[in-house]
Amino acid sequence: MSAMLKVSGLGVSYGGLHALADVSLDVGDGEFVTIVGPNGAGKTTLLKAISGAVRVGSGHIEFRGRDVGALSPARRAALGIAHVPEGRRVFPSLTVLDNLELGSYRAAARSRRAESLEAVLALFPVLGSRAKQLAGSLSGGEQQMLALGRGLMAQPDLLLLDEPSQGLGPRIVEHIFETIAEIRRRRRLTILLVEQRVVEALELADRGYVLETGRVVLAGGRDALLADRKVQNVYLGGESR
Amino acid sequence: MIVADLVQYVVTGLLVGGVYALMSIGLALIFGVMRVVNFAQGDFMMLGMYLTYWLAIGYGVDPLLGALLTIPPFFVLGLVVHRLLLVHVTGRGDPQREMDAQLILTLGLSLIITNAVTMLLSPEPRGIKTAYATQAFVVGPILVNQARSYAFAMALLLAVVVYVFLTRTDLGKALRAAADDPEAAGYQAIDVRTMHGVAFGIGIALVAAAGGLLATYYPIEPTVAVNFIVLMFVAVVLGGLGSIPGAFIGGIVIGLVQSLTLLVLPFQLQNVGVFVAFLLVLYLRPQGLFGQRVRTV
Repeated sequence: MSAMLKVSGLGVSYGGLHALADVSLDVGDGEFVTIVGPNGAGKTTLLKAISGAVRVGSGHIEFRGRDVGALSPARRAALGIAHVPEGRRVFPSLTVLDNLELGSYRAAARSRRAESLEAVLALFPVLGSRAKQLAGSLSGGEQQMLALGRGLMAQPDLLLLDEPSQGLGPRIVEHIFETIAEIRRRRRLTILLVEQRVVEALELADRGYVLETGRVVLAGGRDALLADRKVQNVYLGGESR
Repeated sequence: MIVADLVQYVVTGLLVGGVYALMSIGLALIFGVMRVVNFAQGDFMMLGMYLTYWLAIGYGVDPLLGALLTIPPFFVLGLVVHRLLLVHVTGRGDPQREMDAQLILTLGLSLIITNAVTMLLSPEPRGIKTAYATQAFVVGPILVNQARSYAFAMALLLAVVVYVFLTRTDLGKALRAAADDPEAAGYQAIDVRTMHGVAFGIGIALVAAAGGLLATYYPIEPTVAVNFIVLMFVAVVLGGLGSIPGAFIGGIVIGLVQSLTLLVLPFQLQNVGVFVAFLLVLYLRPQGLFGQRVRTV
């Protein structure tokens, strides 16, 4: 399996504090990989480093064999990395439809806008019925669907999902995870998912990494990780967050 | 008779307000997208007046057309000023320190432009003579100055074009997205730095065009900016910082208030009314007329 994304020796620090230290990981073409770990482990920082929103101190980021470490976020997005950020970050003063259309702003996706839109609206019918509403007026769950839909509109090669379950009720979370599984089934899209909900995330994924205080402490296939004693003790037993 | 007077002042205020509205849209666009308060906005307006004057005197171009012709060169000038200067004080780090740097930069730019024009073109006021400047449409008991009517119509037209651009085109929507959330805009392949350049270019072009329209009835001199920059700021704050429709309404309101003030105060004090209205709005509705939520810079 050829590597879609290859991160090696990544280090990021904020004002002298190491947020990430020597993180290496790879995501193969068509693979679904998840990064789990506690709050503050550096999961979000890692995704931001991959999409270019955070300055990297050391290490390399290769996307489809190309070193993208020096490129702006917009350039990386243009190459086919779609980042669905933590906290959804929809454009509140734009309509739902405008938000979706901006998802396909990159040149490679713009020509396929109509078909992407049709597919996204089929996946999230509620967005179609809210098309003319301002994105800021949607509920949290709807905003998450919009953020996901906006990411899919980019027809990305690599989809980065940061905590899609954050701050949502259990039924919506279930719906979101089901949709992610469906997207995965339909398109064989390469996905890198960051989650605090360890079980759900690992069950969806092919492989996973466990990140703690900025370091990869454990890596392996889904079943191996789910069976791992440390993962069971810390995350599966400790569900009472 | 008093009713006719009132209508006369309202009409005059509306007409002047249209041009204020166009100026203010430019400032609001720059602030909305870049979060930069451009103190040199009035000076770009003054340069637009001079370019229109030069086209009129040198080539016989009607100032209403001249105002339109200022748009392309000032858009390019805006891109260049952004690329050479503003890029160094936007989106690079500590916002508080950047704000100080932006203030010093745009204020310095304003001083340099005013003084350079004074030196090169002399401080002497100039005017463009047009047939319609001294003509009026007569509507019953009301006289409507033709130059101001045409300027108003053009300002309205340009404002509509900007509105359509911002709400109907990909580039316009990308500009608004960059204003809403620069980080998320980056994730959609929208280059925020390019958007800053485009916003500054359009903002400068609009205020230059407004200057050109103003030049059909207002004397042109190097220090003309000071008479308008404060009005623009008031309009933008009245409308709700960064809101384009808000800035438009703010501009119209200021024209009206300025004009109606003349009913009770002498001409020299016409801006007193503007500031009283401004303080009232800030007191009663601090987020501005169209400001929906507080945005921290």
